[in-house]
Amino acid sequence: MNKRARTRLIGVTAIILIAVAAIVLTTGNKSGAYTANVELVSKDASLVGKRVKVSGTVIAGSWDKKSDPMRFTIRDEADKAASGPTLKVIYSGSVPSTFGDGVVAIVTGELSKDGVVNANEMITKCPSKYESAEGAVPVADLVGKGASMVGKTVRMTGYVKPGTIAAATSGDRFIVAEKADGTGTSLPVAFTSALPSGMKDGSQVVMTGALEADGKFVATTLALEQGQK
Amino acid sequence: MVTLGLVLLGVALLAGAVSVGALLWGRSLGRGGEGVTHAGYLATFVAMGALTITILIMVAAFFRGDFTFYYVAQNHSTDVSSLSWLYKLSGLWAGREGSFLLWAWLLSLFASWVAYKRLEFTDALSNMGLMVTNLVLFLFTAGMLFSEPNNPFKVTPAGLLDPATGKLIGEAAAWGMNPLLQHWAMIIHPPTLFIGYAGLTIPFAFAMASLIVGDSSKKWIEIVDRITIFSWLFLGMGIGLGSVWAYVVLGWGGYWGWDPVENASLLPWLTGVGLIHSFTVYRRRDGFKRWAIMLSASTFALVILGTFITRSGIVTSVHSFEADPVSLYLFLSMIIGALVAAVVGIAMRWEMFAGNDEFESLSSKEAAYYFNNVIMMVAGWLVAYLTITSALPKWMLFGGRSIPASTFDAVARPVGVLYVLILAVCPLLSWKGTDGRTFWNRLKWPLVGGGVIAALLLTDFFTTLLPIYKRMIAMGTEPGLRMAQAGPAWYYSTIAVVGLLTASLLIATTTALFIDGARKRAAARGENFFQALLSIFTKARSQSGGYLAHIGIGVILIGLVGSAMFVQDQTFTIPAKAGSTFTVDRYKFTYTGSNDTQLANGDVSSVINLDVTHDGKSVGTVRPGMLQFAQQGQTKLEAKVLSEPLRDVFVVFQGSGETGELTINVKINPLISFAWAGFAILLLGTALAAWPKAGGELRAVPVARGKASPSKSRSKTATR
Repeated sequence: MNKRARTRLIGVTAIILIAVAAIVLTTGNKSGAYTANVELVSKDASLVGKRVKVSGTVIAGSWDKKSDPMRFTIRDEADKAASGPTLKVIYSGSVPSTFGDGVVAIVTGELSKDGVVNANEMITKCPSKYESAEGAVPVADLVGKGASMVGKTVRMTGYVKPGTIAAATSGDRFIVAEKADGTGTSLPVAFTSALPSGMKDGSQVVMTGALEADGKFVATTLALEQGQK
Repeated sequence: MVTLGLVLLGVALLAGAVSVGALLWGRSLGRGGEGVTHAGYLATFVAMGALTITILIMVAAFFRGDFTFYYVAQNHSTDVSSLSWLYKLSGLWAGREGSFLLWAWLLSLFASWVAYKRLEFTDALSNMGLMVTNLVLFLFTAGMLFSEPNNPFKVTPAGLLDPATGKLIGEAAAWGMNPLLQHWAMIIHPPTLFIGYAGLTIPFAFAMASLIVGDSSKKWIEIVDRITIFSWLFLGMGIGLGSVWAYVVLGWGGYWGWDPVENASLLPWLTGVGLIHSFTVYRRRDGFKRWAIMLSASTFALVILGTFITRSGIVTSVHSFEADPVSLYLFLSMIIGALVAAVVGIAMRWEMFAGNDEFESLSSKEAAYYFNNVIMMVAGWLVAYLTITSALPKWMLFGGRSIPASTFDAVARPVGVLYVLILAVCPLLSWKGTDGRTFWNRLKWPLVGGGVIAALLLTDFFTTLLPIYKRMIAMGTEPGLRMAQAGPAWYYSTIAVVGLLTASLLIATTTALFIDGARKRAAARGENFFQALLSIFTKARSQSGGYLAHIGIGVILIGLVGSAMFVQDQTFTIPAKAGSTFTVDRYKFTYTGSNDTQLANGDVSSVINLDVTHDGKSVGTVRPGMLQFAQQGQTKLEAKVLSEPLRDVFVVFQGSGETGELTINVKINPLISFAWAGFAILLLGTALAAWPKAGGELRAVPVARGKASPSKSRSKTATR
């Protein structure tokens, strides 16, 4: 073998490898995001100043789609009792059409010193089809509180009144009642997205939304009660 | 029927084990082992038969809507369109368990093909090649049988099925195939990919066999090279179809996002490029032997890693599956096992596999092949590492972090251009070394032709592409910021310009080869030029197919520069009133109304109508839509594309807001048709190269029954 050719060959190979390594190290260190959950982000001080990718449930009423940049708060998906830490997010970019209360948002951005994620990437996952009714207000209580509840975002639970489920295009989707057979206090519900699969007459549902002045409940999220899995 | 499937899976497992055992035993018996060896071949066909029936059972269950099959219950399609029968078929590979079954079945088909072809020789090399293939098959079948989450034949639990009506009840009523998968490209994509995956086991098996038997002659290459190119072709087709699907279904306007699942299909394809070229050098120059072994093992390991990434959920991705520990250990041991076997094997047979690797000069063809291998090996493993970093522990480089597409782009762009440059100059080089004058003589005419192509492309660059870049940077929106992050403007433009110049040179030098070859042939044989050109394509298929593939790569690069680097991407929110307008570059969009319809299965489709004009001239109406799946509670965006020769106008209806305003995203993707056309040329060239040799395989190496090949190998152990 020609020794000089061999040396050159090794030299060129080394140059290529070093160049590739340099590009990977510089760009990767700048932009590679650590995957973490809300709890970890709130505890791990070493993540401050780094890019993180966090997923969490959007806390109801914590956001305003029209403000730019948009601010909202998320909490871990597993944190059903809503007792764990929360994380503030400032997001600049176009908001996915499915964004809303209770939706799981996966945000990527730099974690600032004051514990806020400055996100420039966001994708949303469909909320789980099932949700615990714990902490949700029963229909009768909501109606019983009267006008003081109008316009406030609440989590409520009730049963689907048999025979009332209608298509998405027709305004009111169904009537939610106090009891599974449709008796007791009831409320018409407006909900524009797809109904959770498996929802049928008499299903117990958990919704987030607000009561309107005309006595209609406008739901932003809708899930089946967990016990029906 | 579920039980029958399970039993047959057991039969396949047993047959695989019997085959491995018989082939090894037959080998240890030496000359007297012929009968035992034959049993090993026979068992291969038994395994294939059993797996074929399991596939038929599963497909039949989908068509009958038999929900006693847990897998059918989970993956059946609820579609009511005219394609619904296809979705019934594709249910087979819509989930993890079925994908494994398909994988195993395809591998058994490849094994049977090899067994059938080599049955009359039963030479030591083929026996061991078949043994390794069946070992892989055995491991796959075991992975399905002994791991609950991978088992395709499970019975639906009693509470979820109404025994009277056969309908799913309770939670199970919501089950079904992911609606995003219901698209024609997604139906062909997995099986083509899996054909490629399964087929690339064969070169690995025979590489191992050559190490076991100690036969470093080109015989094993001649047995597997067509299967390898064939599999690589299908892998490439799978990647292409996946991109088409991503482009039209996922609605983000791109076709490649360095998503883990996309990368999974690319990994073995990259090392496969190195493998195929090493085979050429192995066959023609008796060199690159260790490369061929290492690349076949790497390709196989990356096939397994790819299967693992897509089907195990180890890396989070929009469309991956849930994790399970048995697959983790099974796949990890197969990956490590393959690499260790190759390294140990080469170490033990170091001298034998030395090969004729004499590098005389950096300007030789050998050097070009060598850099081809280095780049593809590094690319394959680098992309593999960067894909799985988020699943690695934190102390490792990038451990626990997901690497964004921008990093992949940052590496791929310069390396890709360098790689294409090697392809472009390779035909100008000679073996051993090239003197300046020959090089110049070969370069002269291509330089003229390439110059013409380059002039056209650069005109487009300065009139269309560069202005788009400036506009996007000036807008300062998210896509513009991403462009700015990819480097300073001079670097961004330089990469693009050099890319276009290199692509022009590649197309020119390779085309010159065909013209030159045809002229010489025409002169020597007295044929006319076109006759000669045609016979080059039909007679020297692997060579001309290969060069055609190179031209395809050049055309793809043009498409990539335009459609991946210079996209005009804008999002508008307009009131839902007929007559609302917005403009993107020279296109004006006017909203004329919408249609909402509810389908028979409850799905709601919303479509908006936009009239489009280009420089004031009407170019038609686009109707992007959104489909809401009632049962699954998912939304699918149905993007619409206006294709023009030099650009696509890609329109997505992203939804309507609370007050009824419409959000619409428009992307102008310049030169994207070059990417698709180049891909078609690449596939055509590969198909030409994969076309079976006339007169059957192995004409060059006649082997007597039961005897070893008369190889030129330095090996003495070959006579077993």
